[in-house]
Amino acid sequence: MAQATVVKRGAYHDSVALLRLARALRTRPGVREAAVVMGTPANRDLLADAGLLTEEARAASSNDLVVVIEAETAAGAAAAASAAEPLLARGGRDTARGARSRPRTLAGAARRTPDANLALISVPGRFAAAEAHTALTAGLNVMLFSDNVSLRDEIALKHRAIDGGLLLMGPDCGTAYVAGVPLGFANAVPRGDVGIVAASGTGLQQVACLLAARGRGVSHAIGVGGRDMSAEVGGLMTLAGLDLVGADAATALIVVIGKPPAPEVGERIRAKLAAIGKPAVACLLGRDAAVGTRGPVTTVATLEDAATATDARLAGTPWQPRPFTLAGVDARIAVARRGLTPAQSKVLGLYAGGTLAHESRLILESLLGPVGSNLASSSAGGEPDGDREHQILDLGADEFTVGRAHPMLDPTVRVERIARAAGRPDLAVLLLDVVLGHGAADDPAGDVAPAIEAARSTARAHRRELAVVASVVGTAADPQGLAAQTARLEAAGAWVLPSNAQAARAAAAIAGPEAVRATLRTGGTA
Amino acid sequence: MSPDLATRADSRSSHITPRDHGRILRLGDDLAARLSRAIGSTGRVHSVFARAINVEWADGRLLTLHGPGPLRAPFAAAVERVALLRAPRPDAPVIVEPGRLRLPGLVLTWDEAAPIGCAIPAPPPGLDRAVVDTLRHHGTGRATGLDSPRGVAARAALAGAIGSGDAARLVEAASGLLGLGEGLTPAGDDCLVGALAVLHAIGHPALVRPPTPAAAIARAAAERTTAVGREFVVHALAGRFSEPMLTLLRARAPLEAAEAARRLAGLGATSGMDTLAGLRLACLAAA
Repeated sequence: MAQATVVKRGAYHDSVALLRLARALRTRPGVREAAVVMGTPANRDLLADAGLLTEEARAASSNDLVVVIEAETAAGAAAAASAAEPLLARGGRDTARGARSRPRTLAGAARRTPDANLALISVPGRFAAAEAHTALTAGLNVMLFSDNVSLRDEIALKHRAIDGGLLLMGPDCGTAYVAGVPLGFANAVPRGDVGIVAASGTGLQQVACLLAARGRGVSHAIGVGGRDMSAEVGGLMTLAGLDLVGADAATALIVVIGKPPAPEVGERIRAKLAAIGKPAVACLLGRDAAVGTRGPVTTVATLEDAATATDARLAGTPWQPRPFTLAGVDARIAVARRGLTPAQSKVLGLYAGGTLAHESRLILESLLGPVGSNLASSSAGGEPDGDREHQILDLGADEFTVGRAHPMLDPTVRVERIARAAGRPDLAVLLLDVVLGHGAADDPAGDVAPAIEAARSTARAHRRELAVVASVVGTAADPQGLAAQTARLEAAGAWVLPSNAQAARAAAAIAGPEAVRATLRTGGTA
Repeated sequence: MSPDLATRADSRSSHITPRDHGRILRLGDDLAARLSRAIGSTGRVHSVFARAINVEWADGRLLTLHGPGPLRAPFAAAVERVALLRAPRPDAPVIVEPGRLRLPGLVLTWDEAAPIGCAIPAPPPGLDRAVVDTLRHHGTGRATGLDSPRGVAARAALAGAIGSGDAARLVEAASGLLGLGEGLTPAGDDCLVGALAVLHAIGHPALVRPPTPAAAIARAAAERTTAVGREFVVHALAGRFSEPMLTLLRARAPLEAAEAARRLAGLGATSGMDTLAGLRLACLAAA
């Protein structure tokens, strides 16, 4: 093992650049660790704790930037050290700027591409509303990928869009398909006759992928942002999206996805669907979903049910929700339970997809009781600090993504959490989602698989097993490949189920008492 | 005249040729008062970023210039266009003249700038229930330095000091956090600033009961952290904070508090989250 140090006297770079630099250095060949800190006494102590306090670092002062690299070889350490300064000059980015000039403003881009009719806006939230207004002024529909846009701005933007006959998808709209073009985090799904209006990105992805697995495709999928169905926003874009897919000749059935709307908004959505008259499936993930068909609308309780009910209605066949679609589930659950100690009874869900996390929490709560979560309106009262309860964590939430990319792109937080979870003697099941598609990481299963292997190994070292249950949101046509990603997870010891809902039920069946398994065996879908 | 801004203009000033003019739109009221007392003094450009520059005065204290919007520090001034801040280079002289700052290639007028109150008022206003509830849901994410064994111990020491109301323990705990962790403003400093905001807002005895710990913590900051980190801590000890922080502390409704927390969380790479971690820690410890 070799170390190299760079000390830049009185060097001041913003914190984002320092974090980017550390991450870029850690990904270089042969580099085991890279620390990028100011040379304060406390940070020199941290470096000493990590075995990284070189002589040069020891001599640094509080206003010096200290970079310490540990690599497998001296040449590797030196190469990384020599790359540090150029990287820092580019703000820590590990890619050279392209030579082709790019427009610097949205208005400039609109002028350069006069045929464009949609702007995808992904800038920090405090600037996003202004950019969205600029786009609307230019006559563009807007997909507002940014979050942290104020409610007031959202309402104003949506009213403006409606006045101009335009769509304002978002804010915090992660996924959409417009006329077959995937936008944001989106899977490679075929075009078809299902129109989707969704207040949920990963929810939309899950349904579109499960439809694709059944040979069904999407005509348009309109993301509306997580707050659209609230009383304040009034479902403005949900209703506009329903008008769009309702009038679209290529759309035979409409799917609405989200959390339970405000009562008055729910009424408007139901009235709109009745007026449109096309068959519809409503998946509004809440505790009191009244499953069944009334008029043109079939109400379902899970994302998977949305896909299977859609498939059945289009095929003209009866539909019944099923807890599992795989054969031999009972035996697999029994195998998973075999290595558990009596103390192991908890489920920990570490999610990249917010709606998938929400769905799992609902399923686990119905089968196991209270679940701690950082999701809003958690039954256990907010972000869980302790390790004594079932937990579902949305790692894409603000508190986990500050200073780093979303967990669909950057596995760091999830890998850390998996490693931490391995030491819990009460933990029976680790529940995970892996999201594929355009915009997602190149190898998301490969990013977490080593952590899964290490966690199971840690558990075995303590004479217990740790069950890992997962689902993969993806299609065979996705760049990462559904089969290859599933195989990678299974090779690491995970049990991969066909949907998030089934994975959550399997987790509950493994961790819970016999009554849970009995409920599921008799067809209860929770 | 304030001693920190009292250094006389030196000979370099005669080489400064103004080329661009701009306005400072808003600045902290304390900073406005200091500038008014410091006509004729000279500082230097300490550090230059994509969207901000820091100016250092003779005593090592800082002034931050950034683009329009909320003041991101109690020692900040917001200029009308961020593009104005591209001209200055590190070590360039900065002269305080009546109603304006003069830099090489740039003059910034501040005589019409709106002074912004960045101090928590006396008597301590307390924290609304909406803020306390919001902090239960935020502030659990933080930089990895704060999750290191030293970070965990330092946070525990701070919580213990707040719980005990003991000023000496507060000084010791603050010293453990100063300069700790990632960032130009180390994560520990951000955490400490967040905690100090709560202590000021509620008039916590560990902070206000004589002998107060402010001077001792300020001395520790001078020895243990970066110039930028120290500036935040020194202002926090005096009860002065950034506008995003004050917006959160002043919130009176859940939605308002949640939005303010989200905006605060978005500051810097981890600074906002680390500050929220400090706010949350102090809230829970004081309760």
